[in-house]
Amino acid sequence: MRTNYQINSGVRFNMLSTDQLQALYDGVLHVLEYTGLDVYHDEARDILQKAGAWVDDIRVRIPSYLVRRSLDMAPRSFTIFARDGNPKHDIHIGPGMAYFGPGPTPPNFIDIETLERRPFVRSDARIVAKVVDALPNIDFCESLGTISDVHVDLAASYEFAEMFPNTSKPIVAWSYGWDDSEDIHKIAVAEAGGQQAFEKRPNYVHYCEPLSPLVSTFEAVDKLIFASRNRVPLIFTPCPLAGGTAPMSAAGIIIQAAAESWLGCVLSQVIQPGLPFFMGGVLSVMDMSAMILSYGAPELSLMMAGVTELAHFAGIPLWQTGGCTDSKTLDEQASIEGSLSCFFSALTEGDLCHDVGYTESGMTGSILQTAMMDEAIGYSRRITRGIEVNEDTLATEVIHRVGPNGHYLYDKHTRGHFKTEYWYPNLCDRRSFEEWEKRGSTKMRDRVIARVQDIVATHQPSPVNPETEKTIKQVLEAAEDRVKNK
Amino acid sequence: MSEIFQQLSTIIIEGDEEKAPELVQKALDEGLAPIEILDKGLLPGMNEVSARFEQEEMFVPEVLLAAKAMHDGLQVLRPHLVETGAKPTGKIVLGTVKGDIHDIGKNLVGMMCEGAGFEVINLGFDVDPEKFVAAVKENQPDIVGMSAMLTTTMIAMGYTIKALKEAGLRDTVKIMIGGSPVDSEIAERIGADGYAYNSPTAVELAKRLVGAT
Repeated sequence: MRTNYQINSGVRFNMLSTDQLQALYDGVLHVLEYTGLDVYHDEARDILQKAGAWVDDIRVRIPSYLVRRSLDMAPRSFTIFARDGNPKHDIHIGPGMAYFGPGPTPPNFIDIETLERRPFVRSDARIVAKVVDALPNIDFCESLGTISDVHVDLAASYEFAEMFPNTSKPIVAWSYGWDDSEDIHKIAVAEAGGQQAFEKRPNYVHYCEPLSPLVSTFEAVDKLIFASRNRVPLIFTPCPLAGGTAPMSAAGIIIQAAAESWLGCVLSQVIQPGLPFFMGGVLSVMDMSAMILSYGAPELSLMMAGVTELAHFAGIPLWQTGGCTDSKTLDEQASIEGSLSCFFSALTEGDLCHDVGYTESGMTGSILQTAMMDEAIGYSRRITRGIEVNEDTLATEVIHRVGPNGHYLYDKHTRGHFKTEYWYPNLCDRRSFEEWEKRGSTKMRDRVIARVQDIVATHQPSPVNPETEKTIKQVLEAAEDRVKNK
Repeated sequence: MSEIFQQLSTIIIEGDEEKAPELVQKALDEGLAPIEILDKGLLPGMNEVSARFEQEEMFVPEVLLAAKAMHDGLQVLRPHLVETGAKPTGKIVLGTVKGDIHDIGKNLVGMMCEGAGFEVINLGFDVDPEKFVAAVKENQPDIVGMSAMLTTTMIAMGYTIKALKEAGLRDTVKIMIGGSPVDSEIAERIGADGYAYNSPTAVELAKRLVGAT
């Protein structure tokens, strides 16, 4: 019997020391207590003031005890449930877990038939949801676009209405404000079987985005209040740019982003103690020549690793970023930038990693990029799964059995392990030259496109309840009515 | 009746080497014709294995097991086939060439060809040209199959063909080659009749070479 035997089953990654993390943590508390943020929401300021924050006009400063208490109240581990009860589609947030999915709201989309860049339309949300549902390494859904062919106020409502029936993987939903947040919630609650049932098994996550530097806009906070009151798991994620809307230094941008996000944590925990809360945001550099927010920069992965470690140090999960690129097309740049950031994100165990499928610096969504990254994530996950060491895997018996000059192909140990011990690619080609040639001499790009087109043509996601279908129709009709004179 | 054929196919696909001979014996005991047991039971199973391997739904360790089940089933069936005068698809002399001791792939090809109804004479590994020549003289096969795993040993394939020519036997057989450093271009260059990159295509090639397809 082994005693005090230590097991390191996965690949361990650590960047910052405990002392460095404490310094970052203290820096965030310092900014929240001494600098504060501007909160453009009267009710939110009232709530925060009653909870112990200091309010001076729109500026809100939060004493450190209140921040620490809120971080303690927010859970580190919880589950987001598949709407259809399929346990394989549940997301178990907690240490050691890294989940992946697309991102929200680019204006453009790469058409999966013509392969051209064009405005994102309603049917694209359906396509993205279906492909996400089918890809084995994509765990949650966002649409990769802002619907352009419906009333401008209803883009988020239509997007959720299109995605929800087409994937049972949990959706991360963005919205403009209270009304469309309500539309989305009604649909999700209908499928869950009422508000109480939803609270027991939440089936989507709400996404809000404050502004950098240090501003909580009315919309971001209003949506946060909606989600908190309805007990919807919440993401509060800023998007600071080093050198533009945040300090140039990685430690500085991490502190500022954390301060922006933790205000949301405090507000949500005051309204709804124990609400699952994801710290944000997207930390990257403003390219000083192209003046874009770079989604392919190594600093993005590096700073995201830092902010992930800080979130985990503070005891809350993080909204990670990866699988994205500044490339305009499905090419080698897209593959390098996307794959490396996926791998790095997997190493950090960042809890929900989004933007898998962002191209052109977040201006164009591409489900083709998502599908290519599905392969990179599978690859990464095989590595992070690590090496298992036990009596069976040590295989000294097997080595003895086969002996010198034998072979292992026929051994039962091989048969018992070859399916689980190896990762098998879906898109990467390992065939002999002749066989590859016989099968059409395809490039990675061709295989990605074929796979996406095949999924869209053949994949059948599990349907929503008939009652939910009715609710979706009613919600959209009421929403159209709401905006008919706008 | 058709149920037992179905069971035979399934047992091959599942690679159940213990049950395969038992089930063949049971089919014989029930009075089924040996050739039907082969054509309607075992062969469809093996064809399905080849198809699944091509589709990447089955992997080498599973194909090996299926081939072993086929082999063991055939051990029981073969004497009865011979008795009833059923002819094999063709006869193959198979070996890994001189200087090379790699024989996993070659054995797999042998078992798969056997599964497709060929009679296979497996010479093993490190087989020198003289031994190939002697085996051809003795067995009068339709096909000689050669395998090499190393770039340093594949030249022995050429020497073997040369030895067959010198013995005046080259035109009595078709020659197929395989192994990781080999391709169709090399097959052409050394004067072989065909190359296959994996075991299912080797079976197809063998059938083509004897005019069975």
